[in-house]
Amino acid sequence: MKNYPEFRAARLLLAVLLFAPSPGSAAVSAQLQETGDLTIVAPAAPGGGWDQTARVMQHVLRELGVARSVQVVNVPGAAGTIGLARFVSSERGRDDALLVTGLVMVSGVVANQSPLTFADVTPIARLSGEYEVIVVPATSPFRTLADLVAALRANPRATSFGGGSAGGTDEILVRLLAARVGVAGEDVNYVAYSGGGQALAAVLGAHVSAAVSGLGEFRTQIESGELRALAISAPDRALDIAIPTFHEQGVDLTLLNWRGVVAAPDLSRAGRAKLFGVVRQLSQSPAWKAALKQRGWADLYMEGEEFERFLRSETARVAGVIRPRGAASRTSSAPFARVVMIGFLGSASLAFLMWIRSRRAAGSAVVSPTMPNRQALLAVASAVLLNALFIDHVGFVLTSALSFIIVARAFGSRRLVRDVGIAVLLAASVHLTFTRLLGVRLPPGLFSAGAGVR
Amino acid sequence: MSTWSSLADGFAVALTPMHLLWSFAGVCLGTAVGVLPGIGPALTIALLLPVTYSVEPTAAFIMFAGIYYGAMYGGSTTSILLNTPGESATIVTAVEGHKMARAGRGGAALATAAIGSFVAGTLATLGLALCAPLLVKVALAMGPAEYFALIVVAFAAVTTALGDSPLRGWVSLLLGLVLGLVGLDPRDGQARMTFGIPYLLDGIDPMIAAVGLFAVGETLHVASRLGTDHDELIPLKGSLWMTRDEWSRSWKPWLRGTALGFPLGALPAGGAELPTFLSYGLEKRLARRPEEFGHGAIEGVAGPEAANNASAAGALVPLLTLGLPASATAAMLLAAFQQYGLRPGPLLFANEPALVWGVIASLFVGNAMLLLLNLPLVGLWVRLLAIPRPLLYAGILLVSSVGAYSVHGSSADLLLLFVIGAIGFAQRAAGFPIAPVIIGLLLGPMAEQQLQRALAVGGDSATTLFTRPGSAILLGVAAALGLWPAFQWLLGPRPKTFLGAGP
Repeated sequence: MKNYPEFRAARLLLAVLLFAPSPGSAAVSAQLQETGDLTIVAPAAPGGGWDQTARVMQHVLRELGVARSVQVVNVPGAAGTIGLARFVSSERGRDDALLVTGLVMVSGVVANQSPLTFADVTPIARLSGEYEVIVVPATSPFRTLADLVAALRANPRATSFGGGSAGGTDEILVRLLAARVGVAGEDVNYVAYSGGGQALAAVLGAHVSAAVSGLGEFRTQIESGELRALAISAPDRALDIAIPTFHEQGVDLTLLNWRGVVAAPDLSRAGRAKLFGVVRQLSQSPAWKAALKQRGWADLYMEGEEFERFLRSETARVAGVIRPRGAASRTSSAPFARVVMIGFLGSASLAFLMWIRSRRAAGSAVVSPTMPNRQALLAVASAVLLNALFIDHVGFVLTSALSFIIVARAFGSRRLVRDVGIAVLLAASVHLTFTRLLGVRLPPGLFSAGAGVR
Repeated sequence: MSTWSSLADGFAVALTPMHLLWSFAGVCLGTAVGVLPGIGPALTIALLLPVTYSVEPTAAFIMFAGIYYGAMYGGSTTSILLNTPGESATIVTAVEGHKMARAGRGGAALATAAIGSFVAGTLATLGLALCAPLLVKVALAMGPAEYFALIVVAFAAVTTALGDSPLRGWVSLLLGLVLGLVGLDPRDGQARMTFGIPYLLDGIDPMIAAVGLFAVGETLHVASRLGTDHDELIPLKGSLWMTRDEWSRSWKPWLRGTALGFPLGALPAGGAELPTFLSYGLEKRLARRPEEFGHGAIEGVAGPEAANNASAAGALVPLLTLGLPASATAAMLLAAFQQYGLRPGPLLFANEPALVWGVIASLFVGNAMLLLLNLPLVGLWVRLLAIPRPLLYAGILLVSSVGAYSVHGSSADLLLLFVIGAIGFAQRAAGFPIAPVIIGLLLGPMAEQQLQRALAVGGDSATTLFTRPGSAILLGVAAALGLWPAFQWLLGPRPKTFLGAGP
C-alpha cells in the first residue's frame, strides 16, 4: 500500500478545497475537554517573544485538541499596553480569549501610567522565562562587554541600544547596566522597536550600536555568526550556548524575562475554571515542554493566587527601576501629531478661502450645482445605518436582506418580488460562506436556535 | 551556475502531480480570499495552519505560496469592477481601474492586472532566486530615517498625482493622517483623539475605511445623482481584451511596477501598499497622456498591480534568508516553518534545498496557473457590470458590510463604515480625492513610528534626517514632488490649476 499517504493527502486537499472543517479531528478530541474557539492576543508585532509564545500555545493547544480553533491576533505597541487596553475593551467577560503578558507589560504599565493595569484582568498563569542577551553585528568593533561599556562611558549618546518597546525588559537591562557602570539614566540612548523581529533587522543593519533581546530571538543569527553575543543575563553558564554572563565579566546583573497569560475581566466562575483548565493542560503536555526546550525557555509554571502575588511584587520591583514618563516630556515630544494637525487645519482653511475667492470672482456666472436626489441619498444612508444598528439583535441575514431591498428600491427598482428573492438568497449564501466555510462569526440573530453558536 | 541547477531540481519537485494539485488549491483559495474584502491571505494561512500536521512541508508551503500570490490577483478584481478594494494592496487599483470599468474597458483593466501580475510575479520570483542575499543587504541598510523619508516620498508622489488639484490632494492626505492619529499614542499608549469612546482605542482600521470611502461613499454619491446624471455605466465597449494601444501602454508600467515592488517588498517594514502608491505616482508622471489619469488610465492599473505581486515575492527574501517576516502573511509563513521545526534563516538554503527550491519553483508554477485561471474568467467577471444597477449597488453594500463586520466581528465597525462612507460622499460632492485619505491612514502611523525611532537614533535631533545620504536624497525628491505644483502656480498666472476646476 505504497500509495496510502498520497490518498490521504488527496482527501485532505479535497477537504481544504471545499473549505470543510475536517470531520476526523472532532472524533479524536472528543475524549478531551473541548473548549471551542480560543483567541490568543499577542501584544507585539509578529516575530517577537510574545508572538512566539502565542504561536507555540496555538500549536500545542491544537495538537492536544483542547480547542477547536485557536487564532493568534497581534496588537503591537507601547510595551503591550496597547494590546492590554484593546484586550480589556473588546474581550470583557469573554472566556474564549487569552492575553500573552510578561515582565515587559508590567513595566509598560508603570512607565506609561497606563489607565489599565493588571487589576483590570484575570491573572491565569506564568508559563516560561528567558534570559536576555546583548548582541552586536559581526562587523562591530566591540569584541567584549568591556569594549561596549568603555564606549558607553566615553560617549553614552553615541552608543545606541535597540530593543523592544520602551520600558520593557530590554530597556530595564540596558538601564541596569548603565547604572552599574556609572552612566546617568538620562544619558542612555535606548531606541524602542515593536518586538524582537524589528530590533533584529535594526542591529543586522547596524542602525544601532547593540541590541538587547531574549536569547531565542537572536539565537539563529548568533549561531550562524552574523551577530556576536557579548553577555547573557543568566546567573551562570548552565545553558547550551557559550555566552559569557555579566557576572563573570565583572558586572553584578541578572534578569529573567518571564512570560505568562491573563484573561479578560469580569469572568464567570465557570469561565475562569475553563481557562485555568486549558492552560494547565497546556503546561503539563509533553509537546509544550518540548517546545520550551527547543526555544531555550525555562519552564516557570505558576498559577492562581501565587501568580497574582508574583505580579504585585514584580510591579513594585519594576516601579523602582523605571520612572513614569512625565507629562512635560510627553507634550514636548509630539512633533508628528502636531505637524499633522496644523497641516490639516491650514490646508483645509486655505482650500476654503480659495473656494470663497473663486466663487466671488465667478460672481453670478457660477453654475448652481445640480440638485441632489435627496430621497435616494437618504434611503441608501439609512440602509447602511440600519445595518449597523440592528445586525446584533436581528441577525445578519434579515438585516442585510432588508437593507438590500431598501437600496435596490432607492436605485429605482420596482420589482419587489425579484428583489426580495435575490436579497434573501444572497444574504443566506454569504452567511453560509462566512460562518460555515471561512469560520467567521456573523450574528445569527433570529436564527440562533438553528445555528447553535458557542 | 549552481542556482540554475538548484532551480531545475526545484521544478522537478514542484511539477509532480500532487504538488501541482496543492498549488492549484492554493491559488483558487487565494483568489477567493482576495476577492472578499476584510479576509486576507494572512488570516487564511492562519486558519489553514493545522494542515501542517498532516501534510509534508513542501506541499504545505506550495499551497501557502499559492494563497499569497492568489490574493494579490483576486483583490484587484473587486477593486476594478465594484470600486471595493478586496485587499489594502489593491486600493490604488480602484482609482483608475473602476473608471476604466465604467467606460466599458473593465475587461482590459482585468487583463492588464492579470498579465501584469504574472509578469511581475515571474520576474520578482526570478529575482528572489538569483539575488536574495544581495537584496537583503540593501534592505537592512534602510534605517528608520530612510523609511520615514520613503513614506514622505509616497505622500508627495501620490497626493500630487491624484485628483485635479494638489491642494485638494494635500487636504485629503492630511485628513487621512489625522484619522491615523486616532487611537493609542504609539509612544506611551495613552488615548489620543478618541473622544472618550473605547471603540476608538483600536484606531481606525484602514480596511474598513477603504471599503467605506470607496464602496459606501460611491454608492451614496451615485444615489444622490440619480435622475440628474447621464453618466451611465457601460459594461463593455470595443473588444473584451486589451487593444494594441493598451498593450503598448501597459508593458512599461509592468516592468517599472516590478522594479518598485520587489525591492520595497523586501524591506523588513515596507509592506505591499507603499510600492503600489509609488508606482501610481510614477506612472502618472511618466505617462504620455497624464490628463487621462483620474478618468481611467490603463497605466494606473498596470503599474500598481505589477508592484503588489512583485512585493509579495520580495517579502519572501528576508523571510527565507534571515527568518525576518516583512508582512503579516510572511509572519504566518514563519509560523508554519516553526511548526515543522524548520528555522528560516541563513542555514535554510543549505539544510533544506529541496524544500526552498521547490517552493521557489512552485511560485513560478502558481503564477502561470493564476494567469490561466484568471484570463478566461475576465469575460465572466465583466458580466457582473451588466447586472441591473439597483441590484449591483445593493449587492456591493451587502458585500462591503459583511467584509467590514468580519474584520473584528463587531457591529461598531458597521457604524464606523457608515461614518466613513458619509465622509467619502462629502469628499466626492466637494471634489476632494478619496485615495489620499487611505494612504494617510495606512502610512501615517508607520511614518510616526519611524520618525520617532530616527530621532532617537540621531540623539533627538531632526538633523539626522538630512545628514544621512539616503534619507536626504529621498526627502529632496519628496520636496521637489510636493512643491513643484506650488512653484508652477506661483510663477504662472494660472490660479485654477492649483485649486483645480472643482466640482
